[in-house]
Amino acid sequence: MSSPNLSDLTKRNNIRLLGSGTQPIVFAHGFGCDQNMWRFVYPAFEEEYKIVLFDHVGAGNSDEKAYSRAKYSSLEGYAKDILEICDALNLHNIILVGHSVSSMIAVLAANLEPSRFAHLILIGPSPRYINDNGYVGGFGREDIEDLLESLESNYLGWSATMAPVIMGRPDEPKYGEELTNSFCRTNPEIASHFAEVTFMSDNREDLEKLETPCLILQCSQDVLAPPEVGEYMKQRVSHNVFHQLKATGHCPNLSAPEETVAAIKEYLQNAE
Amino acid sequence: MSEVNRDGYRHIETAEELYQNAPCGYVSFLHDGTIFNINGTLLNWLGYSREEVQDRMRFQQFFKVGGQIYFETHFFPLIQMQGFVNEINFDILRKDKTLLPCLLNVSEVTSSNSEEKTYRASIFNISDRKNYERELIAARKKAEETSRAKAAFLSMISHEIRTPLNAILGIGNLFHKTSLNAQQKEYARILLNSSENLLGLVNNLLDMSKIESHKVKLEKLPFSVTDLLEVLISTFQVKCDEKHIELRVILPANLPEHLLGDPYKLNQVLTNLLGNAIKFTKEGYVKLEISILELSEKKIFLRFAVSDTGIGIAEDKFEAIFDEFSQASYDVGLKYGGTGLGLTISQRLLQLHGSKMQLESEEGKGSRFSFDLHYDLDLQAGQKKKKALRKWEEQQLDPAHILVVDDNPLNIFIINEFLSGWNLSYEAAENGKEAVEAVGRRNFDLVLMDLHMPSMNGYEASKAIRDLPLERQPVIIALSASATGDISEKLEQAAINGFVPKPFSPAQLFEKLSQHLGADNGDHIIEEEIPAAPVSTNMSRFEKMSQGNTEFMRKALGSSLQAFINYQKEIQSITSSRNSDALASLIHKMSMSLYYVQAYRLSTLMEQYGDMLQHQAGETERLEQLEHGIDQEFQKVIIEIGTYLESIRE
Repeated sequence: MSSPNLSDLTKRNNIRLLGSGTQPIVFAHGFGCDQNMWRFVYPAFEEEYKIVLFDHVGAGNSDEKAYSRAKYSSLEGYAKDILEICDALNLHNIILVGHSVSSMIAVLAANLEPSRFAHLILIGPSPRYINDNGYVGGFGREDIEDLLESLESNYLGWSATMAPVIMGRPDEPKYGEELTNSFCRTNPEIASHFAEVTFMSDNREDLEKLETPCLILQCSQDVLAPPEVGEYMKQRVSHNVFHQLKATGHCPNLSAPEETVAAIKEYLQNAE
Repeated sequence: MSEVNRDGYRHIETAEELYQNAPCGYVSFLHDGTIFNINGTLLNWLGYSREEVQDRMRFQQFFKVGGQIYFETHFFPLIQMQGFVNEINFDILRKDKTLLPCLLNVSEVTSSNSEEKTYRASIFNISDRKNYERELIAARKKAEETSRAKAAFLSMISHEIRTPLNAILGIGNLFHKTSLNAQQKEYARILLNSSENLLGLVNNLLDMSKIESHKVKLEKLPFSVTDLLEVLISTFQVKCDEKHIELRVILPANLPEHLLGDPYKLNQVLTNLLGNAIKFTKEGYVKLEISILELSEKKIFLRFAVSDTGIGIAEDKFEAIFDEFSQASYDVGLKYGGTGLGLTISQRLLQLHGSKMQLESEEGKGSRFSFDLHYDLDLQAGQKKKKALRKWEEQQLDPAHILVVDDNPLNIFIINEFLSGWNLSYEAAENGKEAVEAVGRRNFDLVLMDLHMPSMNGYEASKAIRDLPLERQPVIIALSASATGDISEKLEQAAINGFVPKPFSPAQLFEKLSQHLGADNGDHIIEEEIPAAPVSTNMSRFEKMSQGNTEFMRKALGSSLQAFINYQKEIQSITSSRNSDALASLIHKMSMSLYYVQAYRLSTLMEQYGDMLQHQAGETERLEQLEHGIDQEFQKVIIEIGTYLESIRE
């Protein structure tokens, strides 16, 4: 298959290029949101780096038509997209920042083309969400099924999808828009599939293969990546710097952008 | 709420009282979720005491684990980015672990005396709403299921109708050939015509139900657009000749041959448009015109237009003709027949491409249907491929050992016949598991893999083969009859190298093999001795192949019989028009069938007839003689296969 060109990719992944530096820093958002996730973080890198923001296919303003259940039935599909973007932009010596599930997508991308990446920054990473034979991922299988079920009965979707269905005017988007939350809109069907792929994946073996040096940012009180998972990451990844953040929750890039930025900058400075 | 106190003043309720007893729940929390205030209403709904919650619980703890994940990944990020979220549907856990369906609004509260952001949620109890919603969703689900069941029923019944219909057509054809008087002949003709129309209708219904149930997906396959057009044009040339109208074809000189896209859909749309144009045109011409709108290094944008000098369409009917089951008028249906589905199907197929049919027409003057499609150029298809396709019979494949995987023994048999004709050695496996074992046992250069097999399908088997620790991985070519789903994506995932759609001609298979195995430009021709045959056919080849399996024989002969009945129909239309190109393509098409039943005499007669037509050398008398001979021979072959088939019936 021929590799897609840049204008196709720009449309597919809603790519945005910013910054005045030369070394590229690519930000990959996690499950549940889009590139808006980085709005408080990327400005701190604009002066020194070339910044690449994008939406995974199915999220944000990506081209939903490019979504294929087959391709995105494993995280590798998303990793290949990142590699295509890097290739089309002719990026090298890349710093790839992955939040949440994208930290594993970043690991897969780096394993597929190790020569492209200088560093990975993994924010709240977890190679396996489900507890497994002594391994603590933090979740039981039934919890994940509960999540998938809840996604189907749609949280965000109530106003976005149920209202028009019940009111019987699906053709008047205006009405829906007033009620809808404007960021991080995802097609519920895709969100549900992404959730399934994310939470059912097991990337522990991929961690063992990782050669690219990386920074692991572990949050406090993060349901999605409990301390045991952080400890596991620390032990299994060959070249890593482990940094415990004070920030709570799963999204330090939003709740504590300063602390997050400082940690990344400190790591990059020491790495030079 | 207010009451008169002893002093005669009314008690005005305080903000605190209003807060505690509001008809909605209120809860305030810190950025890490720690709850620092909650109102009485919510405590009451949830069954907690204030002491249990305030400064002790985090907001996230109100949710089940699934809800907590959702909170962390969607909900909280959203609040932090836009400062609020509205109407989020959460189930909140009561103290007794039962669930309370709620609608949440959360806003960020920035207090002047503190840097710290806090959040306040107002919570509406939507138990009643939720019940309605559940009913509505259930009703919708049921309606959707009913509609799906209907579509499935339609598709099933269409399939069921098709089988007897084919029999009616076949027998009708035979009947038409017997000695009949003029009236009977006319009856038989009407019978045949009606059966053909009915078959067309059923096929359209099947297509429509597939589209409705979203089973139709676009493929991205390499195809030769010139080959596709050649076949289309030769088919419709015959029809135009019958109606004495002209078929004009205008193609751009620089039309690239090899494209990537969905040839089936393009073929279907063009077939429909050309068929319509011919149907509605009495005199004048039907024109197929292709023009290049844009051509870059990798892509092409093409316009396809089919115009005619037929009855035309009134402007107020422009939209209606694209609706299901509708034609321009009731009279049109009566006079010209048809289902009114063709254009609907075409339009839907174009929609899949992100394109749309354009229509210009004037009643009484003619119509012009056009549409634009984007294709990627197939840059990997070189000149070599073209050569292989053009003169494949004269080439020889490099020696190779091939594994044929198919759960249908008849398919294995047919493919093996091709392969042995090309001097390739082969083995067969009847399912995915056997295939993986066979590849593990010995080296194969190439695997022909059926995709649809019970237990382990072709994708799984290919993946398993790719995981084998082999010194040299074989080339894997997929074979499949159904072009549904994201085939190309799935092929790539299973590391399958190529794809041949079923049913395929020997040329298609040869071409694909030559791409991967390499071919010599030798003088190799499949040669057969032609023995003097006292009878018209010989079943020994089938017998040998069946190895005593009567079921296999019945299947093989059944399909041969059907094939010859169809070919006979084709030869009849060819002999009436004496079209040498059509004859050549029929001979080509029949070659394997002739080979199986060893119908050498028929084969020889057709070759002679073909030569005469091509060189326009024959006298009319000789031509007529041959035509008669071919007709007789066809009859014999069909009868002999039928008789043999009868003799092996239980």
